[in-house]
Amino acid sequence: MKTTVLNLRNAVAFLAGALLLMSCGVSNVVIQGSYPSPNVASLPIDVAVVYDEALRSFHYIEYSETGNEEYNIASGESHIALFNAVLPAMFNSVVTVDSVEEAQALGVDAIFVPAIDEFQLALPNKTKLDVFEVWIRYNMRLLAEDGAPIADWVLTSYGKTPTENLRGTTTAINEAAVVALRDLASSFSLSFGQVPEVRDWLAARQ
Amino acid sequence: MNAYTANSISALITRRARVGIFAAFVLSALGACTSTTVDEFRQGATGIETGESIVILGRRHASDYETRAEFVDCVGERITSGNDSISVIPERDFIDAMFPWFEPRTAPLRTRDLERLMAEQVVAQKMEDFGVRYIVWLDGFTETSGRTGSISCTVGPGGAGCFGFGSWEDDSNFDARVWDVASLQNVGTISTDATGQSYLPALVIPIPLIARVEANACVRLADQLKQFVNGE
Repeated sequence: MKTTVLNLRNAVAFLAGALLLMSCGVSNVVIQGSYPSPNVASLPIDVAVVYDEALRSFHYIEYSETGNEEYNIASGESHIALFNAVLPAMFNSVVTVDSVEEAQALGVDAIFVPAIDEFQLALPNKTKLDVFEVWIRYNMRLLAEDGAPIADWVLTSYGKTPTENLRGTTTAINEAAVVALRDLASSFSLSFGQVPEVRDWLAARQ
Repeated sequence: MNAYTANSISALITRRARVGIFAAFVLSALGACTSTTVDEFRQGATGIETGESIVILGRRHASDYETRAEFVDCVGERITSGNDSISVIPERDFIDAMFPWFEPRTAPLRTRDLERLMAEQVVAQKMEDFGVRYIVWLDGFTETSGRTGSISCTVGPGGAGCFGFGSWEDDSNFDARVWDVASLQNVGTISTDATGQSYLPALVIPIPLIARVEANACVRLADQLKQFVNGE
């Protein structure tokens, strides 16, 4: 009996220690999803896209109410996967380059430079709502072949996933972010030609 | 701990377990029942030919809830099985193939919007490729209310056990709107309302007596929908 009690105490102490360590650490979430190619009419322009380092390595840190790092959400690679799925369906041709200067040397019709302005996460334990929510604000820039600005506009995307599905928090954050990324893809692909400066530029090319 | 005390605890646990199992049977006879109401409102003739399919989609544009994909799958699986089964295109396959036209922010909310959408050649072509005759929009959710009672669990050297009682009520409300892709009209709506009380008595072990509210709503809605689409 004594041995059993000691084992039980050890197990409880081990569990308590493990829980303490878990509560202190930051949970890393790498957003992963699959993004379909959009069914939209392709524009007859050749585009170079620049994914700068800020986009490639973008991550957002959510802090707990006590100021500790709670979630570290990396979404840069997922954004690049999304744009790589969306852009080829929207334009005649798309080439990825490292810088605007490199794009200028290629002689393409336009240079597209996407950037993430802001990322927000709403967790049910803070909002008291039954959903995980992700908001992302983007700054989209379209440059002419010589690097002169054509259009500079803001896009927002939103994704949510309910808490009632029995999943872990990191899975729910990933699902909400993937919904937000799909929302970006749909609004970007459908509204690109409606951005006034882009519309005027496209009309001037015809 | 001497042998007498250990035997007493063991006997107490056995007695409580028996009481718990008895209470579970009594409660299962009395409770955990579900009542389901189905209403059908037909606005047009229906029928489906061999080679035609339906697609069942969940509404997800509301800010405070969204129709669960699991419920959509449940209705779809029920419709594809049994007598007079109908071919159902999986929701995710359809939404991905039609991307970005059926996302939460872009999906058509009215048949007028579907008419505009079908003017897009790529959308009309995909619909034809899938052989979609009807689009069924499922909209609803299950709400839990009236949580009462409490259960406490303890662990000790002599064993572990839970004692207490909890109960809650589930209410599932789902609407299925059927759009005819051929006529671009709303041909009918089927509404389901299911309610049920669940119990969780715990005498040594918790015994969940769960009312299968959403599952019953799924079965009744799917059966009615199958008859509706077949034109019965």
